[in-house]
Amino acid sequence: MRLIIRDDPVSASSYIANYIIERINNFNPTKEHPFVLGLPTGSSPVSVYKVLVERYKAGDVSFENVVTFNMDEYIGIPREHPQSYHTYMYDHFFSHVNVHPSNIHILNGNAIDPETECVQYEAAIKAAGGIDLFLGGIGPDGHIAFNEPGSSLLSRTRVKTLAYDTILANSRFFGNDLEKVPKMALTVGVQTILEAREVVIIITGAHKSMALKKCVEDGVNHMWTLSSLQLHPHPMIVVDEDATLELQVKTVKYFKSIEAVATSQGFEQILPSKVRTGPRPRAIAKKIGAGPEIQEPGILEPQPVTSTLLTAPANEYPVRSHTPELIPDRMGSRITAH
Amino acid sequence: MPSAIPTGNERITKFTNCRLVKGDELVEQDLWVSSETGKIVRSQEVFYGKHEVPDNIINLGGRIISPGLIDVQLNGAFGFNFSTIPDDVSSYGKVLKQVNKSLVQTGVTSYLPTLTSSRPEVYHQALPFLGPSGGPRRAEDGAESLGAHCEGPFISPTKNGIHPVEVIVPAVNGFSDLEKMYGASNIYPTVSPIDGALLPPKIRKITAAPEIAKMTQTIPELISRGIIYSMGHTEATYEEASAAVAAGGTMITHLFNAMRPLHHRNPGVFGVLGLAESLPRPYFGVIADGIHLHPTSIKIAFNAHPDGFILVTDAMHLVGLPDGVYEWNNDGERLVKTGPSLTLEGTNKIAGSSITLIECVTNFLNWSGASVPQALKAVTATPAAMLGLGGVKGSLEGDADADLVIIDEEIDESGMKNLRIDQVWKFGNSTHWFVAIEEDIGQPKMKSGELI
Ligand SMILES: [Zn+2]
Repeated sequence: MRLIIRDDPVSASSYIANYIIERINNFNPTKEHPFVLGLPTGSSPVSVYKVLVERYKAGDVSFENVVTFNMDEYIGIPREHPQSYHTYMYDHFFSHVNVHPSNIHILNGNAIDPETECVQYEAAIKAAGGIDLFLGGIGPDGHIAFNEPGSSLLSRTRVKTLAYDTILANSRFFGNDLEKVPKMALTVGVQTILEAREVVIIITGAHKSMALKKCVEDGVNHMWTLSSLQLHPHPMIVVDEDATLELQVKTVKYFKSIEAVATSQGFEQILPSKVRTGPRPRAIAKKIGAGPEIQEPGILEPQPVTSTLLTAPANEYPVRSHTPELIPDRMGSRITAH
Repeated sequence: MPSAIPTGNERITKFTNCRLVKGDELVEQDLWVSSETGKIVRSQEVFYGKHEVPDNIINLGGRIISPGLIDVQLNGAFGFNFSTIPDDVSSYGKVLKQVNKSLVQTGVTSYLPTLTSSRPEVYHQALPFLGPSGGPRRAEDGAESLGAHCEGPFISPTKNGIHPVEVIVPAVNGFSDLEKMYGASNIYPTVSPIDGALLPPKIRKITAAPEIAKMTQTIPELISRGIIYSMGHTEATYEEASAAVAAGGTMITHLFNAMRPLHHRNPGVFGVLGLAESLPRPYFGVIADGIHLHPTSIKIAFNAHPDGFILVTDAMHLVGLPDGVYEWNNDGERLVKTGPSLTLEGTNKIAGSSITLIECVTNFLNWSGASVPQALKAVTATPAAMLGLGGVKGSLEGDADADLVIIDEEIDESGMKNLRIDQVWKFGNSTHWFVAIEEDIGQPKMKSGELI
């Protein structure tokens, strides 16, 4: 895992935006071979989008051949609702850049059959060749997308009932009227995110420092779903100083020193070529290779651990699950009656 | 996901880097308009739902987009007086079309052509031409009539202003007198010969004195036909004005002018702007030309009821013509134009104004300390609401008619503001570009219509 620490939220955001732009430009996407980008909503990503829009307007990047998949959407509020994630994405990103609407995928919270919508969403990701880079944010409880504490780390795109705390927290966006707050959402699963070839997470603010600690210093735990990132071959977390509040000093120093050394060696981006360019069609790869396949010096792509350690077949995952998923049984129930 | 199928006739323009007049605010937001529907596009819905992207993008460099201006009291323009019937009646319609094309250049995209007190034959001949003209939704037609405004002849003979006293009459028989005066075909809704739809009457608004004869009892008859009753040219007391409001009057014609002044014992018509008798407060027109009203009076009126405040020009047909003496009405009276001032020949009576609506907005802006969106609201959203056209005219919300003015705000050394009209759009098409504005946004360009 790479942990990048920046002084403030603005520089953390521009680090990520610049990183994404560099990835897209090196990828050199075409119509036949688009760059597939996973996108989040929330407060932390706002400034990432801001930089992406600025750089687009400056002519530094084009999203013409970028295909996007969003993480989640509420169920049962109109697409045009000011709080819908469609609106968020339109206002902060899509209306300002040249992503073609036919390349945009956002879960339809008004689908007649939400479960089918989820299955089709997974299929669409697969059809697009998988996600090259999934950008994400987290909640203060370390949840990624709507995969709240207790979500299965093998979960896929599905219907989720929101935790009561989340509904309460959201009510401020719905005129403080609990009745109006959506109670359910569609969300990609933890596994959906982990299957992306690269995952980049932005975490800013002191209120998320405990989540960062749990996900970086502690073990993999479904109560902090982001911790599953430890099982991913290419995760990167970009944070501001405030978010490191709960980290041990030595953790902070360790990751800072790694970055310093990597920078001094000109070795900042250490993705294997397959991850950098995505699965190019065979014919094109041959043309470039012109003879024996050229090996990337020194870097072999590690296999995602999740794919081997956690080998439950996809069709076993229930499409629908409810929060809270973790229901510890009473100790008393384990004592057999005399 | 389904891909977009271009129909080939969509023409969506996106304005970016602009500030939209929305309510009392300037909102930094893009605006999409369609020349096909003539409406403001609900861009997010079209983007996600139909996978449409703009055909062209106009970078406005921070300029203001206001809904097209609405003048609810305009007596004529460019040498043409709506109340003067030419010897060759058939030329009336032709000249009117030219006036509409010229008027739109001033930023007025819709208006109420106003007839001053006249003989019945003038109404019978003129009104058929003055009804709502926006049906075909053609940008090239220029400014659109939203229906005629008949100011008089059922007004007070002692508050006639420049209306000739000899044509002023009381409606002693109530509605039937109005019907005879204006012509039944002009005062009733009509059925469209094309699709059978009910069309609004030619007359949209009538100004009359509520205290004269049976006028107050006639108000419900008017509003039931979709006609707005506005009190004006009146000696009404506060009590009489209140009764008119209670009967359904929703507008006051040129507040302060041609009515009793505000008196502390009886506030007259002005009094109904106060929150009294639990009546709804009416809208009111104000002429901000610096001649009809003192700037402070305008400020007081605005502060009394900001949401009812409508700026009108009350302009005569002499706008833009050189100083001199001009023929006015069919009765041989003449007007003297001296700069912006118009008087009836041989008197000191103010005879309307010769000011444009955007000049009224600028005056109000400089006199009142109101914000730019507040000042523009007085010639857009507020008159639209008064006419029952909220969300259709005077609005930049999705599905409203795409009548727009692009405005640049200039401030001189002395701090005086000026609103300069750079472009006018009607039904989603640009009609006039006074300033060259770059047509697209920085690199790389949005490649529209390209499908994957
Ligand atoms: Zn008048």
